[in-house]
Amino acid sequence: MIGLAKGLGVTLKAFASKKVTYKYPDEPLEMPDRFRGVQHFDPDKCIVCNQCARICPTECITLTGKPNPDPEKKGKVIDTFDINFEICILCDLCTEVCPTEAIVMTNNFELATYSRDDLFKNMEWLNDNNTNIRSENSRNLSPIATKGGNS
Amino acid sequence: MRNLFEQPLGWPGLFGLLGLGVLMLVIVLVFVVFAIYFERKVIGYMQFRPGPNRTGPFGLLQTTADVLKLLIKEDIIPKKADRALYILAPAIMYVPAFTVIAVLPYTSRLYLADLNVGVLYYGALTSISTLGVILGGWASNNKYSLLGGMRSAAQLISYEVPLILSMVGVVMMSGSLNMRVIVEGQSGGFWHWNIFPQIIAFGVFIIAAVSELSRSPFDLPESESELVAGYHTEYTGFRFAFFMLAEYVYVYAIAALTTVLFLGGWHAPLPALSFIPEIVWFLLKFSGVVFFLFWLRATMPRIRIDQLMSLAWKYLLPIALINIFLTALVKELW
Repeated sequence: MIGLAKGLGVTLKAFASKKVTYKYPDEPLEMPDRFRGVQHFDPDKCIVCNQCARICPTECITLTGKPNPDPEKKGKVIDTFDINFEICILCDLCTEVCPTEAIVMTNNFELATYSRDDLFKNMEWLNDNNTNIRSENSRNLSPIATKGGNS
Repeated sequence: MRNLFEQPLGWPGLFGLLGLGVLMLVIVLVFVVFAIYFERKVIGYMQFRPGPNRTGPFGLLQTTADVLKLLIKEDIIPKKADRALYILAPAIMYVPAFTVIAVLPYTSRLYLADLNVGVLYYGALTSISTLGVILGGWASNNKYSLLGGMRSAAQLISYEVPLILSMVGVVMMSGSLNMRVIVEGQSGGFWHWNIFPQIIAFGVFIIAAVSELSRSPFDLPESESELVAGYHTEYTGFRFAFFMLAEYVYVYAIAALTTVLFLGGWHAPLPALSFIPEIVWFLLKFSGVVFFLFWLRATMPRIRIDQLMSLAWKYLLPIALINIFLTALVKELW
């Protein structure tokens, strides 16, 4: 009998307390810092070593380089860089192997579109995706790259 | 209200009566819609989540959306089902629910029918809904429905006895079966309300009432997780809506009955507060009872069928009888 009354008290208290539901589409969802979201690419740092394309388990990264336009400098410069998000599993391996942190992960995860064509992201889109970058990678921005800013 | 019914019936009288009936039905249906909405909200809040809050402002149109969904569903009648009984069962279930609304008094001047046997009329008509349950279970040609129907019928008839017996104590104290006379006997302050002298009867009444409504913790007949869906497994669309409608109209009727019999009807708790209109007090008490029913549903786990039966016959019935004897004794000696 007392147990029943105590149970009723518990529910009444729960009635007055804060709700635990996430208000997701109405309010943005805060992800933890090391969340593996959609990548951000910085072409100025890329040295076209091809490690990311080699290690990608689903082979979704395709890149091409061109010789450095400046005749005195050695090495290649990135020409095109595409990630196919139909098969990218956001596993973080490409960002782990990149020696210059040209490709890093952000906290953005909203990729839903109405057409599959929109999921083939090119270098320009990946460079523009520069909000919510992981804090450990945000500290390594090259001076030229701070034009877009990071949050 | 009295004048309207005591004049000879001419054309204006007929249309007046029809309009009154339609108005009453509309009020009850609006209550059902918002009772379902508030039940989901209250139970949600008690479970640390908001209830429906997306359809319409604050989710108010949720029930409308649900009813619309039920209306546009395909009407399936199983091939081997007993067709006439299958179609008849929901009607037998919900028609008595609407008929008992006629005897409920809301204020001293606002009532539909001043029956001298109001309490008896109520008890008699709620028993008819049990037939609808058995018919639904049998006519569905489905073993789960049959089991659910049989269990439900056993539950309903077992709890009718303590329900009526608990009302007998109140009737003995008031000296009449007329609901208005019962409420008039509770005028004054809240210390005159029937709940205090008849506290045992009130306990029995509340338990029996929750069981009559087939609500948690006594909702074994429609226990969605245990019996598929009990006696309304095979019912789709609007027929299913009828069963749900009957349950919520009974919630309305039982809450009004509790308010009238035990909580002092439309009287204010303190005579100093009687400048507040009577209908406000009635609505406050009525809402309190309905909230208590929702609260109970959010809190209690389901009771087993054998525990349910022994509760009715071994505990509630003797307690109700003892209450009657005690009331008689006190009336004689005082």
